[in-house]
Amino acid sequence: MADDLVLDTAIRDWVLIPLSVVMVLIGVLRYFVSKLMRSDQVPDVKIIKEGQLVIRARNLRAAANFIPAKSFRARRYYYSNEENGLLHVPKGQGQNPQAQMFSDPNMAMDMMKKNLSMIIPQTLTFAWVNFFFSGFVAAKIPFPLTQRFRAMLQNGIDLSTVDVSYVSSRSWYFLNLFGLRGLFSLILGEENATDDTQRMMQMSGFGMDPSKSLGAEKDNLDIVQHEWALPKFEQRAETVLKKLVSR
Amino acid sequence: MVSKTEEEEVNRLESQVDNGGGGAWEYLSLVRKLKLRRSDKVLKHGCSILNDSKKRSALGSEEWTLYEQVAIAAMDCQRLDLAKDCIKVLQKKFPGSKRVGRLEAMLLEAKELWAEAEKAYSSLLEENQFDQVIHKRRVAMAKAQGNISGAIEWLNKYLEIFMADHDAWRELGEIYISLQMYKQASYCYEELILAQPTIPLYHLTYADVLYTLGGLENLHAAKKYYAATIDLTGGKNMRALFGICLCVSGIGQLTKGRNKEDKESPELQTLSALVLEKGYKQQSPTKLPLLTSALKSLKLS
Repeated sequence: MADDLVLDTAIRDWVLIPLSVVMVLIGVLRYFVSKLMRSDQVPDVKIIKEGQLVIRARNLRAAANFIPAKSFRARRYYYSNEENGLLHVPKGQGQNPQAQMFSDPNMAMDMMKKNLSMIIPQTLTFAWVNFFFSGFVAAKIPFPLTQRFRAMLQNGIDLSTVDVSYVSSRSWYFLNLFGLRGLFSLILGEENATDDTQRMMQMSGFGMDPSKSLGAEKDNLDIVQHEWALPKFEQRAETVLKKLVSR
Repeated sequence: MVSKTEEEEVNRLESQVDNGGGGAWEYLSLVRKLKLRRSDKVLKHGCSILNDSKKRSALGSEEWTLYEQVAIAAMDCQRLDLAKDCIKVLQKKFPGSKRVGRLEAMLLEAKELWAEAEKAYSSLLEENQFDQVIHKRRVAMAKAQGNISGAIEWLNKYLEIFMADHDAWRELGEIYISLQMYKQASYCYEELILAQPTIPLYHLTYADVLYTLGGLENLHAAKKYYAATIDLTGGKNMRALFGICLCVSGIGQLTKGRNKEDKESPELQTLSALVLEKGYKQQSPTKLPLLTSALKSLKLS
């Protein structure tokens, strides 16, 4: 059963290798095209300011005990008073990212560019593979596999009698699509743009709401109990000095 | 902040390069990475690489970074001719680059053509208003012209956006101290302590500011911050020890006659006086009489 299919070497020369080569070339091309299309993102003043504000507020929270109570209270009021505190976000003003995206055509444009550079070559290569190589058995894996792998390895061949260790051309395409990432990071350097998983992460992180982190920081700040740590330092200094004198 | 191991590494490389042991490029890279200001050395060794076409081409694309570094170092050393040459090379390679534009503006500033430099900087900022270096150059420019209030204004504008930049806070604090605006300075130093609570120098300067402000409450606070400095430095900071003595005697003066018991750590002053005496004995015995008379006058008053 395992040896009843003999693969023509021409299949290797004209299907298996060209497919891989084309996939690599398209990946490289896509990298450079997306590099060309990438627009310089000018960050918003507000976003930078909020980021810095959060850092500063976090510092205040972490090291609150190192400054006198009066200074701490002044700062806390500055950050979180209800009228014009920096961390205070008026209700309903924190716009959600969706609305922001619609209001800012640049953002939508950027997303579209990113998506286009990803989707167009993929559909094209998929159509190309489907058109020219549909139904080919392109390779054979040197070890047997269970039936469950049939969907993964023999996409495009609807024969249940073929041994699972044979790989169809369409499956070979998919394997290349997902398996070449390591190769790309070798060729194009570490931060190559073809890394799809990373892009997914970015997209999900896209909807982060900065006003939410401001609100959270404000709440954290509000519950900080200020206890000046400095009086303790006098005793500690004393012990340090005692040690020095007695030495 | 440069850690101790990094500093040792830099010094080792520097002496190696100075004695002709090679490694100039590594040294320059390290200086750039740690943002040190050793312009004379950078200029000397950077030029030696740039003038050697073989070494220069071996750097590949790093060559241009080196040009930039040498240009800035040259401006710092007032070798404006060299800086101009470097910038020219960069200009040829990257026409219309903002980074080169920044260098050109800095050259104008180095030539003390203030108005033109200001114009160049503001046009650069229009294109990218988040260029922190340019914001800081503007502050430096105002300071160089003696326009301290202008520098404060620029710095405040900068801090309004980049409020987590503690170097800017330190600069602002120093400027305020130079203007004797101690209340404002104390705010800046509080901000610094918040950002980096383990650096004793900030505690020390904050204590100085508080002591200078005066008043019973401030003196008590100053004493505590001097104590914090002592704790953080392990008692090696003489200034903090003197500070304790001064604070305690100041507090004593203010509370004299009110018969208020100074219950918090009366030992601190005597201890710091002892440590001071010990330190002077070891380091500079000739100045010991000066110290004892100073301490005596403090205790008497």
